[in-house]
Amino acid sequence: MPDIRLEATINGRKITRNAKPHQRLLDFLRDDLNLTGNKEGCGAGECGTCSVFVDGVLMKSCLLPVAKAQGAQIETIESLAKTGELSLLQKAFHKAGASQCGYCIPGMVMAATAAIRANPFADREEIKERLGGNICRCTGYQKIFDAVEMARDVQNGRLPATIFSEVEAEQGDYIGKNVRSIDAPSKVTGRLKYAGDMTMPGMLHVQVLRSPHPHARIVSIDTAAAETMAGVEGVITSADVPGEDGFGVIVNDQPVMARGKVRYVGEAVAAVAAEDLLTAKRALAAIEVVYERLPAVFDPDEAMRAGAPVLHDYAPDNITKHIPIRVGDVEKGFAESDLVVKEAYSTQAIEHAYLEPEAGLAYVDHDGVVTIVSPDQNITHHRHMLARIIAKPIAKVRFIMSPVGGGFGGKTDMIYQGMLALLAMKTQRPVRLVFTREESIISTAKRHPSRTRLRMGLMRDGRIRVLEMTMVCDGGAYGLSTGNVVHKAAVLAAGPYVIPNIKVDTYGIYTNNTPSGAFRSFGALQAAFATESHLDICAERLGLDPFQIRRINAMRDGAVTHTRQKLGSVSLSRVLDAAEKVSGWEAGAPVSRGDRRSDLDRDDIRPPCALGARFAAADKQEAAE
Amino acid sequence: MARKRGRGMAVCWYGIARTAPADRAAAWVEIDDGGSVKVVTGVTEIGAGILTVVAQIVAHEIGVKPEDVVIGDNDTARAPGPGHAGGSRQTYMVGNVVALASREARKRLVEVMAGAGAWDVDAELIHTGNGEVWAEGTNHRISMGEAVDIAKKRGVVPVGSASFGIDAAARLDPVDGSGRPWQAYVFGCQVAEVEVDTITGEVQVLGIWAAHDVGRAVNPQGVEGQIEGGIVQALGQGLMEDYKLESGRTSTSGFARYILPTSLDVPQVNSIIIEDPDPIGPLGVKGVGELSLVPTIPAIMNAIYDAVGVRITDLPATPEKVLIAIRNKERQGSHMAPQAAE
Repeated sequence: MPDIRLEATINGRKITRNAKPHQRLLDFLRDDLNLTGNKEGCGAGECGTCSVFVDGVLMKSCLLPVAKAQGAQIETIESLAKTGELSLLQKAFHKAGASQCGYCIPGMVMAATAAIRANPFADREEIKERLGGNICRCTGYQKIFDAVEMARDVQNGRLPATIFSEVEAEQGDYIGKNVRSIDAPSKVTGRLKYAGDMTMPGMLHVQVLRSPHPHARIVSIDTAAAETMAGVEGVITSADVPGEDGFGVIVNDQPVMARGKVRYVGEAVAAVAAEDLLTAKRALAAIEVVYERLPAVFDPDEAMRAGAPVLHDYAPDNITKHIPIRVGDVEKGFAESDLVVKEAYSTQAIEHAYLEPEAGLAYVDHDGVVTIVSPDQNITHHRHMLARIIAKPIAKVRFIMSPVGGGFGGKTDMIYQGMLALLAMKTQRPVRLVFTREESIISTAKRHPSRTRLRMGLMRDGRIRVLEMTMVCDGGAYGLSTGNVVHKAAVLAAGPYVIPNIKVDTYGIYTNNTPSGAFRSFGALQAAFATESHLDICAERLGLDPFQIRRINAMRDGAVTHTRQKLGSVSLSRVLDAAEKVSGWEAGAPVSRGDRRSDLDRDDIRPPCALGARFAAADKQEAAE
Repeated sequence: MARKRGRGMAVCWYGIARTAPADRAAAWVEIDDGGSVKVVTGVTEIGAGILTVVAQIVAHEIGVKPEDVVIGDNDTARAPGPGHAGGSRQTYMVGNVVALASREARKRLVEVMAGAGAWDVDAELIHTGNGEVWAEGTNHRISMGEAVDIAKKRGVVPVGSASFGIDAAARLDPVDGSGRPWQAYVFGCQVAEVEVDTITGEVQVLGIWAAHDVGRAVNPQGVEGQIEGGIVQALGQGLMEDYKLESGRTSTSGFARYILPTSLDVPQVNSIIIEDPDPIGPLGVKGVGELSLVPTIPAIMNAIYDAVGVRITDLPATPEKVLIAIRNKERQGSHMAPQAAE
């Protein structure tokens, strides 16, 4: 198809450009006009990071064909602080602490700007509704609502503009002060460049061929056709790895690209670097891989049974890690208990869903140093691993952390940096890979799904006599952080309670599922879900208030943990007292007494969500007029 | 009534600063020409606000404003001791090490100013703050930039460096698990208030009261941000998020199918920051990044039980699951509370 001759007004400037008909408005703004402030988060109109104004209307630019911009007025995040001074909303986001990783923030600021333009008097509930099309994974939204309300009130003269000023510390004592985030101005304006916003002269575009099978032997890979395509500069497979091929966090069991067999759907098999993205994608289609399917196992309990398919030769029982904790004598403990309660708990896999999909650049510099620029949560460890993989001294490998658009543990794994390094070495040109959202979801680690069996014995007065827990975590196809996750789960499993008899076993298991890895709270979440639900069940049966049963068992100053570590000060009583007092908790056994509680519906909760809040507010306003 | 309210609570604990393998961090600090401060350290900002925390600590220790602190990139070829962002470690590890390096740089500057070639006073009388240097009981008061100029003219560059590490202990005993896995422990407690729609099964979390010990809050607003964000991630896992696999293939590969909490799903979070200082590090800080998620889900599940008498033991507590549990309870005239064993 011929190019489109596009005439539009972008951030107040008239432009005439050629555009490709298949381009989305987002691509045109970011790739052709270098307006990288608005981001791509999902490519499906779900997350709002790409929000711009088209003729004054908030639109998701990932859903708009570029032709829709013909003759239109387009405003991007770059339009808001054009003079160098932040807009009211940008100042408010800065002051209120509304940006964390910052990746959603340009879109969020656009949506908030639209909200305040639509109704300068919008209340908090209406603001929430108007921001409902924009996802933030870091902040929990609360400080974003605070910021929009602050900007609204300054605009309406209800608050002075001095509210945006930096906090003063007269004695220079800046610890304990709400100093404004030093990187927020770069985030609220869209000026901060994430890896996917960066380009280098001569840069090639990388695409990755991924496994369609959960478990298969690779019979052959034929890259000849792809390699000879015009515009293709390099194709790599595991055969291109010069050193020891393996990365991980605990065990280096994952090859840079599948070696001999694939173990999960989405695993990298080959990668291409080409002059443009389209050519790279076409080259992937020209790579011929012959697979021989292998029996697969998807259930960790089945994977532990004799005769189950084995994923890794070094672990014939499919166990990545087992952590035991033993204290006292559990059988004696159960015999002594007045009440024994058992229950099973399970948790699901979840996705980190950082708004910034994985992206990275690599190049070989003038001194032959292989350099990787990526949003990487652990550049130290990755430098060591990559040096081994590409058989170079550690000093000839350099990792530079680009701004991380959310991590939560998910960017701890060196899942793609190895491929970038190999392609930069092979082509001797800078290369860049930007994941799509789908690619990010299928190929990167999840939170470990878990199955927990918990048995607890207590005395009539509420003292826990014994706890026995077995937790099986599905680690998926590769080890990643599984060993550390089941370690943390085991150590913290029994909770901050004095318990004389404990038997805890946590297991991380290989399956042909998407690998599980590091995820904020790292095994502790799964264990606490079981233990803390269980304590309430026990409290009901013993007629004890939930705070009371925890106080009876709470570790205190000088306590010894379940791993026999002596603690100094233990703040558990303080946090219990504080939460009870501030929430105005009404004491009583947890007997499903919601309908008789007197501590509900206080001023410090939000109202239940009722869609259409803005219409209700409009009606009220109309009635008042 | 179709909508029922209830409350639940739960507690958590968490370890900070790993001992095996030993965690460690390093930093270089220079009080620069003009009175700003350069800091280079392996700090991994993933949005949690650690750059601001570092700027505050350096400003506090050296006596400049946070806006006058310039932090170098995290780069294995340029920064000392880069470490990872994880394990709620950075305020503890990086915060403490930049404090130590800052103290050394400041000491070097103060020694010049106290010397015979400058003010000739007892070093103890020299103070710094907000970009100024002065000597107590005298009329000496100059800017930090002027002080750096004086130091350099006397052949001194005010730099400091530090290493901060955790005394390595053995890994957990392979038989009974005994060991000393972390240096510091933090504790938290959350109360949740929910509303359950008994017709649709939908659960709305209306309020969370979250009390967390963080050691010492360098930036209380940032701590709140960590608590609020963590709670909403946990809420997602508790009520809606579900990465579904069928024979190893996902049906939730995009945000249209993988449901995340939006602005309309989130409770009002009331944070209570408790400070029980760490006795080992120079600042007393501990950490907050991860522990805020830990008690949220059981607090919500306990609140659902309080509201409608059903116990969800299999996450997430989707409307379908809650509704089935409510129906089962009505049908059987008993709740799903577990059977007493033995």
